[in-house]
Amino acid sequence: MRILVSTALMLAAVSLAGMSVVGPTTHSLEWWSEVREGDPSTGTGGALYRLAALVLPLAVPLGGQELPPSPDLDPRALLLESRGEGGGPGSHWEFYFTRAIYSEYQGGWGWGRRARWATDYPKADHQFLVVLKRLIAIDAYGGENAVRLDDPEIRRFPFLYALEVSRMNLTDAEVQGLRDYLEAGGFLVIDDFWGERALQNLAYQLNRVLPGRLIRPVAMDHPIFSTVYALEEIQQVPNVGNGRRGGPTTECWGCEPMVFGISDDRDRLMVVINWNTDLGDAWEWAEDPWYPLQYSTFAYKMGVNMVAYAMSH
Amino acid sequence: MEGLFEFLFKYRPVLFQEGEVVLGTSWSTGLLVGAVALAGVVAVVTYAAAGGKARPRERTLLAILRLAVLGVITFALLQPTLVISSVVPQRNFVGVLLDDSRSMNLPGEDGAPRRTWMEETFGPEGSQLVDELSERFALRLFRFSSETSRVEAVGELGFQGTRTDVAGALTRAREELSSVPLSGLVLVSDGAENGAAPLSDAIIPLQAAAVPVYTVGLGAEALAPDIQVSRVEVPGTVLKGTASLVDVVITQRGFGGRTVDLLVEDGPRIVAEETVELGNDGEPIVVRIPLTLEESGARSLRFRVPVAEGEAVPENNARDRLVNVTDRTEKVLYFEGEPRWEMKFLRRAVEDDENLQVVVLQRTAPDKFQRYDVDGPEELRGGFPRTREELFRYRGLILGSVEASYFTRDQLQMISDFVGDRGGGLLLLGGRSAFAEGGYAGTAVEDVLPFYLEEPAPDPRGAFQPLTVSPTPAGLNHPVGQLGGAGWDDLPPLSTLNRVVRLKPGATALLTGSAGDEERIVLAHHRFGRGKALGLPVQDTWLWQMHADVPLEDQRHEILWQQLLRWLVDGVPEPVSLILGRERVEAGESVQITASVADSAYIALNDARVVARVTHPSGAVTEQSLAWSVEEDGEYTGSFVPRESGTYAVAVEATREDGVLGEASTILQVGPSQDEYFDAGRRTPLLRRLAEETGGRFYTPSTVSNLPEDLRFTGAGVTLTEERDLWDMPIVLILVLGLLGTEWGYRRIREMV
Repeated sequence: MRILVSTALMLAAVSLAGMSVVGPTTHSLEWWSEVREGDPSTGTGGALYRLAALVLPLAVPLGGQELPPSPDLDPRALLLESRGEGGGPGSHWEFYFTRAIYSEYQGGWGWGRRARWATDYPKADHQFLVVLKRLIAIDAYGGENAVRLDDPEIRRFPFLYALEVSRMNLTDAEVQGLRDYLEAGGFLVIDDFWGERALQNLAYQLNRVLPGRLIRPVAMDHPIFSTVYALEEIQQVPNVGNGRRGGPTTECWGCEPMVFGISDDRDRLMVVINWNTDLGDAWEWAEDPWYPLQYSTFAYKMGVNMVAYAMSH
Repeated sequence: MEGLFEFLFKYRPVLFQEGEVVLGTSWSTGLLVGAVALAGVVAVVTYAAAGGKARPRERTLLAILRLAVLGVITFALLQPTLVISSVVPQRNFVGVLLDDSRSMNLPGEDGAPRRTWMEETFGPEGSQLVDELSERFALRLFRFSSETSRVEAVGELGFQGTRTDVAGALTRAREELSSVPLSGLVLVSDGAENGAAPLSDAIIPLQAAAVPVYTVGLGAEALAPDIQVSRVEVPGTVLKGTASLVDVVITQRGFGGRTVDLLVEDGPRIVAEETVELGNDGEPIVVRIPLTLEESGARSLRFRVPVAEGEAVPENNARDRLVNVTDRTEKVLYFEGEPRWEMKFLRRAVEDDENLQVVVLQRTAPDKFQRYDVDGPEELRGGFPRTREELFRYRGLILGSVEASYFTRDQLQMISDFVGDRGGGLLLLGGRSAFAEGGYAGTAVEDVLPFYLEEPAPDPRGAFQPLTVSPTPAGLNHPVGQLGGAGWDDLPPLSTLNRVVRLKPGATALLTGSAGDEERIVLAHHRFGRGKALGLPVQDTWLWQMHADVPLEDQRHEILWQQLLRWLVDGVPEPVSLILGRERVEAGESVQITASVADSAYIALNDARVVARVTHPSGAVTEQSLAWSVEEDGEYTGSFVPRESGTYAVAVEATREDGVLGEASTILQVGPSQDEYFDAGRRTPLLRRLAEETGGRFYTPSTVSNLPEDLRFTGAGVTLTEERDLWDMPIVLILVLGLLGTEWGYRRIREMV
């Protein structure tokens, strides 16, 4: 029912803009490419944004700025320190859970100075890795590993995790860095962003990265849902607050979880987009007795599957 | 030299070789020796007692000279005699074998065709040689090329034979003349032997029958100016699209330092081309030319150097080679013990290669496996294969980071047998659970490795070592080393957890890595039993795809893995295989068919039914059963004689009561051979060896006049014994006069006279 409501709202919004659309229940989702072709502030994409702003009363932050160096967080120093400087003894691990540091729109609604890429960081990363190493026989580094998208070093880590992308605003260097990363064989997982506007912003950013590639729903018979664990449905994983309270799992009205993907020319997933769900919180708070086990179980299964898929396809 | 010998000793050396020297005196030898000894004593005493100023040393020297004179005289008085067997005139036969091959049309030493001397000597107008031979022997003429037959006159020779089968000719002549007294065989040829049978097959019976062969070599030993494609080393079977390296040996005379083009042609198309700088005059060069064949089926490739102006033999500028280009999918099993990036990027690297199917079995957790690219739900359902049949269905096997203790002892032995018995290709990758760190020391798999295992690192992570990789000279000349484009330059460093530094004898390192002052082995291979084993003790070749320093369009990672896996499975045998004795024959020549038959576990079978099906160029099909050879388990042989020119298709099918074991096929080219034009210079060593091993002699047209005389004393045939005095040899008189003159001269110098 909620999917139907969500879809109806989107169809209504887009039809107000006079666009021809195909709903997300189909597997083509050409409408996303339409969205991605427009700048949020201009063109048809802009019209959609404006309409979305009416439907979803969120201010659209315009005029992106590059992420300034954070004086209290130097990810490069953190990275080198945690992985071992210069590739010396003890520095090699097969798998690094790598978190993407990206630029975002400044001002407007947000969490103040706290960069959104660092949401749940690093506890969620640590917790996920602890469980990952128990579930599969992987040689994984147990610490956090955050790398900027425009850092060439990112190409050493073919698995990348990004979240809270509703305000993502990539610089040209980041666009180029992420494009090269994905085209070379890297794998990007996106998590914990909610609502149509956030998805539209992501679509716009990804269209800059991978122009011409469509965002499509990932069908349940896709191998990513069965690589290690057979998942029969996509659960909406709530944030820690909602989960503890036993309240609604969604963070926006009518939002249903979906998994989208962008595939390469051989139909292998390059990007997996976990929309309207918060796997990261479930990893971060899995040990909390008040957080429902079913959500963290699903989140870990999905996480393991994504890692296993990324390392095999 | 021989003339001087004959002047001094009265007779030619050959008579002394064939005859025996005896003493013919009727006097009492003891009496004669005693008289000479007495004379010697008198001479010594006389010299010793004589007055004068001579010193003892001078007296001794003079006594020795005098004794030497007495010795020579004594020898003459003993009537030395040469006893020799000589043939009875017109009672013996001599077979004359005349080379009727095409190479006799090539220029001889004097510039005229080689056949000219033969035609003049054995022609109707006659010659001194033939006259002298005919005086003593009954001559029987034979012509020979690929076949041998009797002729009455040299005019029957056409000089169009496409082979020079010396062994066959000698055998045929010996057999044909076996019922008559045979003094010897005379072989007139350039010695450009290219028959199927080894020469020793003909020599041994000749030695047993004491039939000497006298060889007359025609033509110059080296033809100049000339360029020749001497040899082409090309694999008999290649996988479609596989880059192969073909070695072409080019020899030349008169074109030293020149630049020529080497072309590889597949019908009308040029499939490869290389500009080659020839070496110094007379020095052969080896050209290694990369070749990728994109059309499947049997391809007849021509390796050709365009004919230069003035070449003595234009026909030897091209060689044809048959290559069977297969278009099947080669199945490789990759067993990975843990999730690793290497597996992902290896799969990606070869996914566009339609001839490679990498089936992946990945252990994600203890006793939990993922399978990729399997053919059906049953494949590898039970994990790593537990039977030979299951494992041996693959042609290549890759072991990733999986500890030896995962396998049972039988499985480890089976992996070894996969290489040694089945003939498969094994590739072991580096990792924290590979090689010594994986506990492979002391296992059956260690024996297969191309290098020795070192002491395992206590903590593999501590053994982490970045490596700057570079190819060895052998690697640069290996198919795996052909990356194209930028080659091996600027590739980012890789890393290893496994220290490998010592190759086993016979192994070859293709890639090495610099780790500070130490050089590590990065890729090595060797033959093991029927198959090959490779070790690649690094863990992240995927960086050559993913690293920021490698442009996105760079294909070297893909090329490396495609070449590596194609080479891994190259030449891996099937349960049933087929080999023909020759890939190209002339119509009428017999072709040997050899089939090797084994079951799916590659155990040789001797009770199979093997049928060879030959499809002729005309479309006719003949079948014949092959019989177990007995000499070798699983080997079945037969033969057939193609009568038509063109391409024959030969296929064998092996069956047993429980069904078909397998099939194999190949093709055969039937047509005139060009072998006569290759290495067409006179082969003196071969002709000399043939003569010496049978008791004959080697001649050239300038020395052949001695042949009739030499033939007289072979001892073969109907002979009579001749005694020839040796006492009157000029050397005797020369020695006597010389020694006396020396004595007299010495005394004059010393003022003793």
